[in-house]
Amino acid sequence: MPELPELNPVIHGKLRLALLSLLSSVEEAEFTWLRAKTGSTDGNLGAQLLKLEEAGYVAVEKQFVQRKPQTLYRITNPGRQALTEYVRALKQLLGAALEG
Amino acid sequence: MIPNTQHQDLNERLTLIETMIAEGRRSTESWGWTFVLWGVAYYVAIAWSTWGHSNLAWPVTMVAASVLMGILIGRKGRNTAETTVSRAISAVWIALGVSLFTLLLSLGISGRYDFHLFVAIIGALLGMTNATSALILRWKMQFASAVVWWVAAVAACFGSGTLTTIAFLAAIFFCQIVFGIYGMVREARQARASAAGQGALHA
Repeated sequence: MPELPELNPVIHGKLRLALLSLLSSVEEAEFTWLRAKTGSTDGNLGAQLLKLEEAGYVAVEKQFVQRKPQTLYRITNPGRQALTEYVRALKQLLGAALEG
Repeated sequence: MIPNTQHQDLNERLTLIETMIAEGRRSTESWGWTFVLWGVAYYVAIAWSTWGHSNLAWPVTMVAASVLMGILIGRKGRNTAETTVSRAISAVWIALGVSLFTLLLSLGISGRYDFHLFVAIIGALLGMTNATSALILRWKMQFASAVVWWVAAVAACFGSGTLTTIAFLAAIFFCQIVFGIYGMVREARQARASAAGQGALHA
């Protein structure tokens, strides 16, 4: 029987998984947009984005637009690869569950 | 063997990924108000140039509308995400603005201004931009707007002064005011549906 894959713990958290999925569908997104889409609080969102940033899955860019701070996030290539592998592992596990 | 609860959890995660990707692709930008703003600006410029007999009516009104739009966009804050589609559509509209301003200002300064030519240029360029945007977004209502602008452009080429004026005023009304209000209503509905379909996600 083939060994079942492990799910990447960095993106297994629901909010981190949602963030990476959202970022995979856009070129870049503002912090406020991610907050609106996930309904998360500033503190929790910031903490989860930091974890993704530390893992090298998202890149952050801070800038000022009309004297207002703006934080932009974008998914990196390793982040996209990690999400693809996570989905593959998820499907494999679900397939195994159906076979079992 | 995976327990039933874990199976359900994995399924939920797969659904979450699909939902979030679809959500990210959905446009949440609100641009309906800009159509209304420019429609009102066109009417102001027409009224000013007709009754005020001023050559400054069009350039001053267009610059004022551009500045006002910039201020309002800045105040609203973008609160959005950029996709390739949104960047492509913004690029087309920015190019339209620069083209119209350069061309019409040059015609005005050179003294080769002609009302029929003026409406034909505006109609053709607005038709092209609305059609490009409509084809990218697969939005039939916007394509209908493009057709109305093209009809106005053709009417300006063949019609009398009165017919050209009527065609121009009608195109502004339907393609800027009515279409803009329709866009605003649609955006508000989408925002409500999006908010209703989402709960807060936790780590």
